[in-house]
Amino acid sequence: MTVRVRFFARFRELLGTDIPAELETGSTLLSLVRSIAEKKEEGYTAIFDEHGNFHEFVIVMRNGKRVEHEDAAAVRISDGDEIAVFPPVAGG
Amino acid sequence: MLSERERERYKRQMMLFGDEGQELLKKAHIFIAGAGGLGSPVSLYLAVAGIGTITIVDMDDVDQTNLNRQILHYDRDIGKKKTVSAEEKLTAINPDIRVNAIEARIDETSAARLIGNADGIVDAMDNYPTRYLLNDIAIRKKIPLFHGAIRGFYGQATTIIPGTTPCLKCIFPKAPPKEVFPVVGATPGVIGTVQATEVLKYFLKSGDLLTNRLFIWDGLAGRAEEIRTERSPCCPACGTVIPEKGGKKK
Repeated sequence: MTVRVRFFARFRELLGTDIPAELETGSTLLSLVRSIAEKKEEGYTAIFDEHGNFHEFVIVMRNGKRVEHEDAAAVRISDGDEIAVFPPVAGG
Repeated sequence: MLSERERERYKRQMMLFGDEGQELLKKAHIFIAGAGGLGSPVSLYLAVAGIGTITIVDMDDVDQTNLNRQILHYDRDIGKKKTVSAEEKLTAINPDIRVNAIEARIDETSAARLIGNADGIVDAMDNYPTRYLLNDIAIRKKIPLFHGAIRGFYGQATTIIPGTTPCLKCIFPKAPPKEVFPVVGATPGVIGTVQATEVLKYFLKSGDLLTNRLFIWDGLAGRAEEIRTERSPCCPACGTVIPEKGGKKK
């Protein structure tokens, strides 16, 4: 199955965006984002803490709906899903 | 009533919204939190549009490192209070409006008093703790919060109408770590003018506000995108004002 992962802001600078991913059935949201972020260490550490959990400020959305961090390990990805991962932009 | 000078000054925009619209802008009082990268274009464009009263608050002095983006302040202003510099420029660009430039820190003890009876708040801050404070006061006073934020070539904006749209804490429940952010001046130029446009539309009661959506500008990609936003029923800032079925409040 194919899904699309979109990073925004700093995460986009580090990891790119609109990343199509081929997945095995049963993959979770957390494992999907981890597997893409792992390709660049700086990108990974920007999104995940040392335990491999999302940093608390990271916003994760699946098909336009927010996913709570504690649910990300249980949410199964479906074919065609669109995942958005972004930090709050803070400067003014 | 508009003076002859005001009619001449605003002639080209009154083609869009007439005397009635211009009077609405003249009656409006906007609060701008910050006279920096975002506060500069927001305040300049709202001043020339004829927003009747602009309150702008900042606590800093003009520093040379501000000048790549904070277009309210000139090289000659280095070392001056940003509020002094802001008042001088805004009054010079439009002497027909009232400018209250207040040197103050926006914190829990001062925020509500500084915002006073303003009709709306522009978020031109550079940190989330102060943004959350502005969000709380917008909710309490039931006035809109025009959010904007930038980093590098990247920016975001949304318009928050308390009781109707998600609040800032619904969208961004946790603040990111503090950093000295990189930025080119054109980025707050884009986002600040989006915020100023939102303020004008709100007071003119026209167009579609950036409500329930986060506008995202990626200058490097040359692309604008949107993310749909939703209210969080358990939001610690606005969750208690979500109307239940039948319009009752919790």
